[in-house]
Amino acid sequence: MTLLVVRLRFTMWRTAMSRSSLHLTSSIVGGLVALGVVALLGPGIAVLSTRPLRLTALTVPLFATFTLMWVVLSLVATGVDNVLDPARFTVLPLRARELARGLLAAAYTGIPAVMFVLLSLAQVAAWGAHPAALPAALVAAVLGTLTAVLGSRAVTSALARVMGSRGGRLVGAVAVSLVTLLPLVLNLVLTTGAVGPDLRTFDAGPSARVASWTPVGWAWGMPYDVATGRWAAAGVHLVLAVLLVGLLWEVWVRQLARTLTSPMTAGGGQRIGRARLLPAVLGTGPTATIAARRIRAWYRDSRLVSIALRTAVLPVFFVVQSALTGAGAFAGTGVVTLAVFAGLTLMNDLAFDGPAWWVHVSTGVRGWEDRLGRALASTIVFGPVLVLTFVVSASLGLLHPVVPWASVSLAAFLASLGLAVGVGAVLPGTAPRTGGNPFAASSGGAAQGCLTAVVSFVGPLVLVLPVGVAAVLTAGSPVGRWVVLVVAGAYGAVLLAAGVVLGGRRLDRRAPEMLGQLASAQI
Amino acid sequence: MTDGARGEGPALELVGLVKEFRGRRVVHGLSLSVPRGSLFGMVGPNGAGKTTTLSMATGLLRPDGGTARVLGHDVWADPAAAKAVMGVSPDGLRLFEQLSGRELLHYVADLRRMPVEESRPRAEELLAVLDLAADANTVVADYSAGMVKKISLAAALIHAPRLLVLDEPFEAVDPVSGQTIRTILRRYVGTGGTVVMSSHVMELVEGLCDRVAVVAGGRVLADDTVGALTAGGSLHERFLELVGASEVSGDGLTWLGG
Ligand SMILES: Nc1ncnc2c1ncn2[C@@H]1O[C@H](COP(=O)(O)OP(=O)(O)OP(=O)(O)O)[C@@H](O)[C@H]1O
Ligand SMILES: [Mg+2]
Repeated sequence: MTLLVVRLRFTMWRTAMSRSSLHLTSSIVGGLVALGVVALLGPGIAVLSTRPLRLTALTVPLFATFTLMWVVLSLVATGVDNVLDPARFTVLPLRARELARGLLAAAYTGIPAVMFVLLSLAQVAAWGAHPAALPAALVAAVLGTLTAVLGSRAVTSALARVMGSRGGRLVGAVAVSLVTLLPLVLNLVLTTGAVGPDLRTFDAGPSARVASWTPVGWAWGMPYDVATGRWAAAGVHLVLAVLLVGLLWEVWVRQLARTLTSPMTAGGGQRIGRARLLPAVLGTGPTATIAARRIRAWYRDSRLVSIALRTAVLPVFFVVQSALTGAGAFAGTGVVTLAVFAGLTLMNDLAFDGPAWWVHVSTGVRGWEDRLGRALASTIVFGPVLVLTFVVSASLGLLHPVVPWASVSLAAFLASLGLAVGVGAVLPGTAPRTGGNPFAASSGGAAQGCLTAVVSFVGPLVLVLPVGVAAVLTAGSPVGRWVVLVVAGAYGAVLLAAGVVLGGRRLDRRAPEMLGQLASAQI
Repeated sequence: MTDGARGEGPALELVGLVKEFRGRRVVHGLSLSVPRGSLFGMVGPNGAGKTTTLSMATGLLRPDGGTARVLGHDVWADPAAAKAVMGVSPDGLRLFEQLSGRELLHYVADLRRMPVEESRPRAEELLAVLDLAADANTVVADYSAGMVKKISLAAALIHAPRLLVLDEPFEAVDPVSGQTIRTILRRYVGTGGTVVMSSHVMELVEGLCDRVAVVAGGRVLADDTVGALTAGGSLHERFLELVGASEVSGDGLTWLGG
């Protein structure tokens, strides 16, 4: 059974790649990037074996952080690989436990998982100088990666279930936001008491000990315990780590069992009153209608609710960090990041519509109306959030020269919006299925994800850079900064217009081809 | 104003349509002509290319060759004009599921730039006639298969098109609603509209349609009035004769139920 599921996964992968050269290219690029990361980090970790114990101890906080980030990122950024959606196994006479074993094995075949396993083997090598600690490091690698992989599955499946209902979305929202702050807390805990980055005096021991008593560090702490001769601690850590893995496994199996007997459906029992506000404000032309539908989706569609969270959480993270450390640059970065993320949410907006987009094609909606409607919706949803974050940060005194930061934020939002509506008309990306697991994702690094990620990362940077430079240069000039603000607004508006026009033309010319791409855009 | 009255040619004219998927040709130079004011049925075995052909005729799938004209407008040269005069209900494509049935109708009407005073009463009337009024505020995601078919039909009808292209409109629809739809379609054709629909139910096509085309393997095997095609027999028999019934009746699948 296990073997069968793994084989199924590879078959699906191969089919996907043979059907789309884009998929193939991005898988290769993703694989190479992952390989590069491992080639850089792996030896760096393994070489710790030639260093004194106080430095080798670094593996503990490092891998505890990896593990936590793995789980948190699956919630707020990457989602979990849903190529093998458990809901598709519903009609087969399978027990949840059998299926879970298969899916777990399949989960280890993804690029990020392979990367993590390789790095955890580097961790084993790092303990090479302490023969007694070697077996402990090996056990830690097994339990630690299991904690990460099972943790992300258990947490996302449990939350997806909770967020399926209307009231649950709020609970989910709060839970996700709190979880996102965990790495920050861990970071704060681990760095207290650590001496500066001077390698001659640096001692990772205290932070290793702290990390080893967090759930994500139980497994990774064992080799350090053994190497320092604290056998009792090692035993306790082993028991705790095994219990944690067992608990996560049980939670996941239970969620799987529920999925097999009652596949998740969209919302359920949603009845909708007659909306009068949106049409009254926006009118009833095609652009306004499309905008109104997208705005409604932001609160009706649990997939988008989770995207909204992902968008808002990281910037909040920066602002909180800034408030804690008093470093203003963090808050500014946070607001600009929020602006960029908010704009970029439109990148895979078409994938969220999926095949349903035929309605736009069939009614003869013009491409620019489609693009502009979506841009309008994002502005209405995220504009106030952006302004609020900006005003709050500014009134806390975190955004020091206020006007230049405003220029950069404004340009960042409009430019990202323009980029997203333009690029989104060419690469629709992927989205979770309607009513499916809102945390579903295609296999990491595959699909168009990679290409889109590069565009999303480099694009805004390049587009906003001129405004950034201008803002810095004129920060001292009372008149100059206002001029830059106006110019930044105009510049952003031009970029947005370009995105709407070019993206719209592309959609007009290639609507049927886009429809074909959208047929497989939901996972 | 053209308003669908451009010349007096056929309502839908397909000439030499070709479609290939990954090098495999599934529609082989298919030509069809649907006269105005007729109810045209398209039948054929699974995988015959009906959905593919109708998608190419409605601007949802680009053909690799051939032309499609809707009331004189070339679908691929002037898509906007062609789409304005036709209503489409495809098979197997989802709708915007986060909208309620009523919102979906309003959405489609607004995308087609219909005045609100006209579209809102029409939406209510369609919902009532198709027995969807009680579920007008339920999101389409929660609709049953038949309800989805009906709301899709309503969305195709709301702008009173001159040509209706329906892919399996009766699939999963209950007998009462089925009867309503038949009445609607007949009345629509009576007032000069044209319907092109595909179906697997021979009795329905025989009783409802004026003309039938039998399609198999991406080619038209027969295209005639129902009377001429059946020539005394039933459409069912004629279909099996044309397409060639496979002989599994006696021997195959003996293990089933054994
Ligand atoms: N997107 C696609 N990619 C590859 N092949 C396709 C695609 N769509 C259809 N086909 C193929 O084209 C052929 C015709 O399919 P089509 O859906 O038009 O059949 P149909 O007559 O509508 O069948 P049914 O009665 O089952 O609805 C089939 O062999 C199918 O496999
Ligand atoms: Mg079909």
